[in-house]
Amino acid sequence: MRLNIYRYDPERGDPPRMQAYDVQPEAGDKKLLDLLMRLRVQDDSLSFRRSCREGVCGSDAMNINGRNGLACLTALDGLKEPIVLRPLPGFPVIRDLVVDMTQFFAHYHSIRPWLINDEPLPERERLQTPTERERLDGLYECILCACCSAFCPSYWWNPDKFIGPSGLLQAYRFIADSRDTASAERLDFLDDVYRLYRCRTIMNCTEVCPKGLSPSHAIERIRLALLQRSS
Amino acid sequence: MDKPPHRLPVFLNLAQIRFPIGAIASIAHRVSGVLLFIALPVLAALLHASLRSEADFASVRGLLSSPLSLVVAGVLAWALAHHVLAGIRHLLMDVGIGSELERARASARLILVAAPALALLLLVWGLS
Repeated sequence: MRLNIYRYDPERGDPPRMQAYDVQPEAGDKKLLDLLMRLRVQDDSLSFRRSCREGVCGSDAMNINGRNGLACLTALDGLKEPIVLRPLPGFPVIRDLVVDMTQFFAHYHSIRPWLINDEPLPERERLQTPTERERLDGLYECILCACCSAFCPSYWWNPDKFIGPSGLLQAYRFIADSRDTASAERLDFLDDVYRLYRCRTIMNCTEVCPKGLSPSHAIERIRLALLQRSS
Repeated sequence: MDKPPHRLPVFLNLAQIRFPIGAIASIAHRVSGVLLFIALPVLAALLHASLRSEADFASVRGLLSSPLSLVVAGVLAWALAHHVLAGIRHLLMDVGIGSELERARASARLILVAAPALALLLLVWGLS
């Protein structure tokens, strides 16, 4: 199969270029990541992140034929050739397909992604009803691969101020949690023209989420929660 | 980790990104808004000029009946139709109507088709 891959070597200092490859998939190679691993035997200078190879760690997010996705979840079957691979759009490139995610994680940190509860600890765990637990479905599954934020035009133009779909989905995950008592503070923090309201409901985030989640829906719920609070 | 001495490159070539239908409807919303914004003072000035005297009315009419004006009018009619339809779509989505991915895709497709059709109707109606 033919591939065309974005190459950048910071030590050489040359501008990024595209490099063509030809690699034969072997029996059992089902996903794009399988092919990339074969390719690395051919050319060990090619850099990309990968770890669990089953869509749980979120390391191998990249732009595949113009769309963000995880190499380990993208089936080789049906991929148009040459397969064009580029790093996540809008993120600084460290080398080849490896991007700098510092800012992305800074946004994640800013929404305080941990349970806040000042009430005294119960003797055993904090209980939830099945309904309360269900509210976290579609939120807790996010693996922070950044496919969504790196496909969001609003995030491309304001990566320093807009939290982005991934961070906002995570923010709503804690707002929706019945055990969390800091919803009001969380909403205060988000009620900002940049942090939340840069979202223009383009829904590119939901289009590309490899876990099938809907950050745009979480953002909608945050907006509605803010509206309900003010009325 | 030490910061590299030079600025890191960023891949953001929009021509090489495959945009979903919703993104196309969204950028068209922006473009149509900018077009309407630019056109409004020109249209107001033309209206003002046409109301000055009979002779001025005739000259504005002459100006507007050129083939180029027809193209401009067509583009502006599209801009108006698309902007209004996309705006209504967003208002509905903001209150949770049609904000699921499948329905949002369908409504984006709908306005992208409906806006040129509506523009054509506006144009035909304007010329008759």
